[in-house]
Amino acid sequence: MTGWQAASLVALGAVVFLDQWPAVQSMISRPIVVGPAVGSILGAPADGVLWGAAFETMLLAIQPVGAARYPDAALAGLLGTAAAIMGTESGIYPAVWAVAVAAGAGWAGEVLGRLQRRRNARTAAAVLSRVSAGSLGAPARGIAAALSRGAALGALQTAAGLGVVFAGTRLLAGSPWAGPLDAHGLRIAAAAMAGVAGARVLGLGRKRVVSLVLGAAAGLAMVLLGVSR
Amino acid sequence: MKQERGLSRRLRRERRRVALRSTLVQAVWNYDSLQGIGFGWAILPGLARIRPDPGERAERLLAHLGTFNANPYLAPIAMGVALRLEEEIARGAAGAERRLARLLHALRGSLGAIGDDLFWSACRPALGLAAVVAALATGSVWPAIVYVLVWNALAQGVRLAGVRAGFAAGAAVVRVLQDPFWAKAARMARAAGIFAAGAGLGMGAGLAVLGGGGLAGGAVFLAIVGWLWLAGTQIGARGPALSPALAFLAVAALLGAIFHLSQGALP
Repeated sequence: MTGWQAASLVALGAVVFLDQWPAVQSMISRPIVVGPAVGSILGAPADGVLWGAAFETMLLAIQPVGAARYPDAALAGLLGTAAAIMGTESGIYPAVWAVAVAAGAGWAGEVLGRLQRRRNARTAAAVLSRVSAGSLGAPARGIAAALSRGAALGALQTAAGLGVVFAGTRLLAGSPWAGPLDAHGLRIAAAAMAGVAGARVLGLGRKRVVSLVLGAAAGLAMVLLGVSR
Repeated sequence: MKQERGLSRRLRRERRRVALRSTLVQAVWNYDSLQGIGFGWAILPGLARIRPDPGERAERLLAHLGTFNANPYLAPIAMGVALRLEEEIARGAAGAERRLARLLHALRGSLGAIGDDLFWSACRPALGLAAVVAALATGSVWPAIVYVLVWNALAQGVRLAGVRAGFAAGAAVVRVLQDPFWAKAARMARAAGIFAAGAGLGMGAGLAVLGGGGLAGGAVFLAIVGWLWLAGTQIGARGPALSPALAFLAVAALLGAIFHLSQGALP
């Protein structure tokens, strides 16, 4: 990984941290989007697409609702995909290592996200006292401060995570403990995850079984017709 | 007439600005006032029209910086309602201030419930699944791009329409919330999502059987699906990410073992 690639990933980490809950929520922080972005930065867009899809199924049910605690899907997708691509040898991914990185990153990001929310309470209190004193610009300044802090936190956690990924990937190079898996196996596993996670998350009533069966027929047809090889 | 047209143009611009600012409603989200700061900042353009005097404006702004929380895409409905009632307060309507406080309190729960069900529980998983299946099938970045475009057309469109609807309805906002549209949209999204989930299963089975694995490949695929179903994939229900991560690890380990046993010939 070159310095420019690392810097681009850190910048991406800052942007997706903000998109996840503090700003816009345009879903560019979802693994299905982050994966291809990481793949493009690391020069392996096709691998990024595959891993982004796989992590999306893993993190499908996250509900960023109020004070709910949920794993940081953006950081999980970013570092998990980076681990998978950086550890790939002759087309074989270190699948178990990549998933372990994503699970760890999801947890770490959740903890740091809570810290950011706690720190925001102080910013909010400062805004209230300034508005009480008649300052109409205080909310805008508070928002700018919180977003800058969020971007810095996102960049920092990505940089730290990339360090761990880099060291771990070198340590596990060629090891069977990295959980070798090729693209074909990954697609099968991710497709199975998509089916099961979708049925569980969206609920499978009697009426929806028909949709599921029709979908399965369409999926099978895609393989038979060669759309998906 | 000309004056009225000018006012309506100004109102339209004001609502657009409120909708745009609502994208940062969670910027200072915290465990005390939740979205309060973002809410107050978002409605400032409207308050500036209603309260030209900075002192009065600061006083009314303070009333909106308290605790508020709703689904971020539906929060603009409450912003529209707040501005409509702020107009009534400025006109000196009796009880308008108390009515506004009560309404905003009630809206927190209902906008959260309706919005979370539609956006987080139905639309996002459904769109995500469709993008996943398309990405796995094509290996292209386009499904991800289309996913972002469709989501934002929907979510940001609802934001803009929300300010308008809230402002138009005012205290009668319950009519907007009782519209069967919300439940119908969530139901349709879920049905589409299940179709995409089925496509994932069909594609996985096809790849396992026809991709060189034959019946053995099919049996392995069924084992994976069965294992995933038993292991559960619901994130957040029993601890962050652990259950699906373990399920995926099990699948990876299973496929890895097969990979090793067959010297590279995966099912």
